Amino acid sequence: MSRRRHLIRYLSGRLALVPLMLWLIASLVFLLLRVAPGDPIDALLGTRAPQAAREALRQQLGLDQPLLVQYGHYLSDLLHGQLGNSLTNQEPVSAVIGRSLPASLELGLVALLIAAVTGLAVGFSGVARQEGRLDLAGRIYGIGTYALPPFWAAMVVQLVFAVWLGWLPVGGRFPATLEPPSGSGFYLLDSLLAGNCDQLLASLRHLVLPAGTLGLLLSGVFANALRLNLRRALDSDYVEAARSRGLNEGRVVLRHALPNALLPVLTITGITVASLIGGALLIEVTYSWPGVAFQLQEAIGQRDYPVVQGIVVVVAALVVAVSVLVDLLVALLDPRISF
Amino acid sequence: MGRRLLPWPTASGNRLLATLAALLLAGCQGSTPLGHVVVASRGNLDSVDPVDITSFAGGQLLSAIGDPLYASDASGALRPQLAEALPILSADGLTARIRLRRDVRFHDGTPFNAEALLFSLERFRALAKLSYLLDDRITALRVLGPHELELRLKRPYSSLTALLSSSNLTPLSPTAYRNHRRRSLRDRFVGTGPYRLVSSSPHKTTLLPFAQYWGAPARNRGVHLVTLSNSTALFGALQSGEVDVLLSQGLDSDQQRALAAQAARGQLVQGTGPALEIGYLTLLSDRPPLDQPQLRHALALSIDRRLISQRVSYGMRTPLRSLIPPPMAGSEPPAWPDYNPQQARRLFERFGFCRGRRLTLPLTFRSNVPTDRLFALTWQAQLQRDLGACITLEINGVESTTAYRQLDKGAFPMILLDWAGDYPAPDNYLTPLLSCSRAAGARCLEGSSVSFGSFWTATGLQEQLQASESLHGAARTRLLRTIQRRTAHGAAYLPVWQVAPRAWARQGVSTPRFDGSGRVLLQALSQQP
Repeated sequence: MSRRRHLIRYLSGRLALVPLMLWLIASLVFLLLRVAPGDPIDALLGTRAPQAAREALRQQLGLDQPLLVQYGHYLSDLLHGQLGNSLTNQEPVSAVIGRSLPASLELGLVALLIAAVTGLAVGFSGVARQEGRLDLAGRIYGIGTYALPPFWAAMVVQLVFAVWLGWLPVGGRFPATLEPPSGSGFYLLDSLLAGNCDQLLASLRHLVLPAGTLGLLLSGVFANALRLNLRRALDSDYVEAARSRGLNEGRVVLRHALPNALLPVLTITGITVASLIGGALLIEVTYSWPGVAFQLQEAIGQRDYPVVQGIVVVVAALVVAVSVLVDLLVALLDPRISF
Repeated sequence: MGRRLLPWPTASGNRLLATLAALLLAGCQGSTPLGHVVVASRGNLDSVDPVDITSFAGGQLLSAIGDPLYASDASGALRPQLAEALPILSADGLTARIRLRRDVRFHDGTPFNAEALLFSLERFRALAKLSYLLDDRITALRVLGPHELELRLKRPYSSLTALLSSSNLTPLSPTAYRNHRRRSLRDRFVGTGPYRLVSSSPHKTTLLPFAQYWGAPARNRGVHLVTLSNSTALFGALQSGEVDVLLSQGLDSDQQRALAAQAARGQLVQGTGPALEIGYLTLLSDRPPLDQPQLRHALALSIDRRLISQRVSYGMRTPLRSLIPPPMAGSEPPAWPDYNPQQARRLFERFGFCRGRRLTLPLTFRSNVPTDRLFALTWQAQLQRDLGACITLEINGVESTTAYRQLDKGAFPMILLDWAGDYPAPDNYLTPLLSCSRAAGARCLEGSSVSFGSFWTATGLQEQLQASESLHGAARTRLLRTIQRRTAHGAAYLPVWQVAPRAWARQGVSTPRFDGSGRVLLQALSQQP
């Protein structure tokens, strides 16, 4: 069989598992939400409403139906691409996600860029002189950023740069007194397309602290991964062979060792992207960043079942898509991988 | 080895980076337009429709973009707002006639009249999450004339005017809501308030003054309401000048104290509203060990409210020995006993405790409310210090939604909760906690007393509650005091403190003022150039 046919078969196998995975995730989140203590009616009305009013609202929201009926409706809606309406205000869940997902993706992508650039620079810098000062500093940096608790780091950064120095905004995604850019929901992109300097810089100012904090915290993973893989590559036979042919060290590193060392980093990038889509919760909460993780936290607090279910399913689908894409990229780039 | 593998930034590269950073820090900043005020608080706004709103943040918004029929000032005095005068009650107290102002227009330019009010109240009854506010009291609504409406009441209700001051009952334009008679309108609002809603999202709302407003015009050129997710961010936003006014809801005690200290030094201005929120302990009265009234009474004597208030809130929460928050009618004199560890010890001893045997009692607090945790820890330590031989508290936190769900199942022998009436009226603090529609002796089987987790009632208490709702003046105050005394004697609820809303503004902004419902009067905020 040709490599191409192998690849298609490999990809088909991965994609065939996607619906099963999504069904499992959707069913699990449905079940766990119902098993968990708490009730949306209590979250909405607290203890104040009389029993009759509570029952009326329960009926109005369809929560009085048997669990199996609710599950059937949920799966049927999901198959038709419907995520339902929020229990708190009847807003379609797709609108809630449509509003918050671009915020998370924008934050995640910029943070990833910062993490990759910083992490790779730090990881690469230590290679010049192994066990030298720069290498040691890079190792400490890698471990330190990895070990720092995100909420603590975020609060310290917020305190120093926003409260004490007053250089950057404390939180939020856009100044209260300016009209945010309209369009895709990606403020940087929208303001660039509109050619609006005020909007672009306002968006950037709000993005610097959350994306910077998240990016720096993640960069340690990249730094360590690159440092270890590059060192392994530099010790390998093919690099020795290149050196023995008289190639200069820069060319040996950049042309021979680095591409091979970057392959595992690509896998790490995929995993990081997947975790960033829904996992930047502490950063989003600390900086009041209106992304999906922040929205998810609020929805869980309010026991807003459709919003929680919708966000989990959409994030899961994105995570699956990204991991399949990364697997495919690695398979394409690395001839050693057989499938 | 040892050679540079990649080019480091050059001098021109450094200059470019520095320019970009300077632009980020200084250039194109979203400075507040002249005369506009940015107000920050915690708590998102999911909808601007009065039928959806149940939160304090929502009520704050409604008080600026809507107008109730009546309004209360910070002292609790009620005055007509969209109504022309106080309601005219029939001799049997079952019918109320309300005459309306004739010079009021909605934000869409259409006139406000009795038909519009009827439309809004009927819509509220049909759709609102808080529809019980009206359904519990009103049987029918009828238009008597272009500017006169009649309300038929289920039974006489002396707090009717206060009920009609609820911001959720603000009239809406029938023209703007004609397609939303049976469904809510989340992101648009057309009412009669001093501001019109320009834009709204869960985290930011923009209001501009309504040019045709019938009353005193707003003293600023616009208000931007923003929500931030945590106390540190809110505190920092005021310190860094990003916001002009900060509301106290959701701010940690430490930060409230720091802001109050800054206000005392003249660095900020502080406004304080009426204390309408109470914190209280609910004791499960129908199961051992707290089914013994004398044991509950011992606990009532064991709370050193002053000390706890100091330790938990630096004295910003006022110790409370009444379920009705002062200065409302019936709140004075305090019905619950003051801290008296000697008497408490004697009562504990009667039950065989203190002499080698200790009562171990679970105390539940809402884990997502920082002040509740501090209360639990402080009271635990205070009891250990004062009555350590008699009682030990086992404290445990439960998330509030979970706690509310399990209250009526009798899951918590003792739990700290809070309460604020939907509108400022004394019965709003007694009826919701004490009402009991079916009882067996002192055990409530059905009613609010069950929903609130105490299961406590007393013979004739329900009748007294109902009677207090229909009485006026001194007779009503006397009956409210009697109910409070009986409830204090039953000791199934132990009031702990009352909480006054506060707001801090940066220098150059006028002192925040509050209405009788504890909301900042946004239209009264002004910015000096």
